[in-house]
Amino acid sequence: MNTSKIGTKFAIYAILTFFLILWAYPVYVAVTKSFNVGGLNNYKAVITNKNINYFRVVFNSLLISIATTLIVVLITTLGAYAFSKMRFHGRNVLYILLLACLAVPAAAVTSPMFFTVKSLHLMNTYLALILPLTAFNAPMMLMIVRTYFDGVPDEIIEAATIDGCSSFGIYTRILMPLSTPVIANIGTLTFVYSWNDYLIPLLFTRNENMYTVTLAATYFMDTQNQTAAMVAQLYAALILMTIPSVIVYLFAQKYLQMGITAGAVKS
Amino acid sequence: MTTRTRITRYKFEPYLYLVPIIVISGFFIYYCIGFTAITSFTDWDGMTSSFHFIGFENYKELFTDNVFFVALRNNLIFFVGTVFVQAALGLLIAVLVNYRLPGSNLYKSVFFLPISMAPVIISSIFRIILDPNVGDLNNLLRSIGLGNLAKAWLGDPQYALFSIIVVNIFQWMGFSMIIYYGGLISIPKDIYEAATIDGASFWQTLFHITIPMLRTTTTMLIVLGIVGSLKTFDIVMLLTRGGPGRSTEFLNTYLYKKAIEEFHGGYASSIGVMILLIAVVMSILQLKLNKDE
Repeated sequence: MNTSKIGTKFAIYAILTFFLILWAYPVYVAVTKSFNVGGLNNYKAVITNKNINYFRVVFNSLLISIATTLIVVLITTLGAYAFSKMRFHGRNVLYILLLACLAVPAAAVTSPMFFTVKSLHLMNTYLALILPLTAFNAPMMLMIVRTYFDGVPDEIIEAATIDGCSSFGIYTRILMPLSTPVIANIGTLTFVYSWNDYLIPLLFTRNENMYTVTLAATYFMDTQNQTAAMVAQLYAALILMTIPSVIVYLFAQKYLQMGITAGAVKS
Repeated sequence: MTTRTRITRYKFEPYLYLVPIIVISGFFIYYCIGFTAITSFTDWDGMTSSFHFIGFENYKELFTDNVFFVALRNNLIFFVGTVFVQAALGLLIAVLVNYRLPGSNLYKSVFFLPISMAPVIISSIFRIILDPNVGDLNNLLRSIGLGNLAKAWLGDPQYALFSIIVVNIFQWMGFSMIIYYGGLISIPKDIYEAATIDGASFWQTLFHITIPMLRTTTTMLIVLGIVGSLKTFDIVMLLTRGGPGRSTEFLNTYLYKKAIEEFHGGYASSIGVMILLIAVVMSILQLKLNKDE
């Protein structure tokens, strides 16, 4: 019995480690190669690049992702409150219409988005990125929050109503404080998805000042050639562009995992 | 039922709470869908505001357009290739991690890490690794005497789509893993205990208990895989841009080129309509599946 248990443990570690090596390999290559030839100077070269201001790029991505996250959290909690705790005409129809947006790929409506942003003279603005990112992230987050609110007993709401609490008071003083875990989930998820998005900034950004990290990464991809020194610098650039999201991941891994599970299980 | 009546009291208030999400998300997305549908019947260039209605011309062209069918086929191959491998690997790893041996959280974190990284970054890293001349994969193969296996992974039409699939699996396997992991936790422990007492082996338990119990999860991952395949854009743009030739063209990359690079807004819209139709059919299927459960 004991030997077979040790055998099982060994087999589990062996298989897991095999895949771990496969999964860690690309990251390992990127990190080690980024120090080739120039060492830390590779990173310095990226940060001091004449055309791409690293801190500006990170700032842009941060601003866009944080703004998108805040708006998504606000509009989805408000909407989920109505869908979950109130009855009204058209409730199911509206909910299904919003959920149907989940399956709409942003890329399938490229030309209308592009044309609209251009006609509204919003090209190269933060708004042009925040708005579509919010629109396309909100449906899934709405679903997650609604499922969570459905689990909050109606009795709590009724008791508060009887005590004279307004419906908005219920939202601010009861539902929101109760929903910190789900807000953490959808917040992290929205932040990461916005941070990593490529299509929206690609469509609406024209000058380097407004570049996000993903555009900056492709800029480096397009401008470097294949000498060892350049490849090393390229790796350094890619790592620098991904560090902020990895930091978020390290701190909010739990929420990201819970958010993804919640988003899939109900959909 | 009394609780229901009390909640029915709201008449106009609910709509106030819904205005922000309906305007920002619902209105925006449906406006884009309507815009796409209408312009798909026009010769719109995608940039100016002048266009003429030309009936079904775009669709007629689309159904005789080889590239469109190549893209459709690639999307399908991509979906089949990624979803099943991802699900199988995700399940295997979730089951193993679920033994909760020391360090299993570390494994989970590493497999999940690519999800927090942008597809653009991961694709870029792979583009260098898969480079035929300076890439680490070919260097590795050559150094262990398997030089004849070294290929132009992204430059050879025979392997390019395959490489895209592998990169996508690398990025999203953790997604299947974490969802299966969530499903595993919800399977009652005593079922496994009973199976162990009956002397069931690892594989017997896997095939007769775990996989059947996780059927819903698997169905859902397949549906999400179809939706995901329809959304695929970044990885292809970064790895091959649809090339070599048109061998890795996807619906989205083809649409993007038509809309933004070739100024055929109307034609791009007709591709968009096809993508949306597939997405709608999938959503209906998904709703049906959910109802059946």
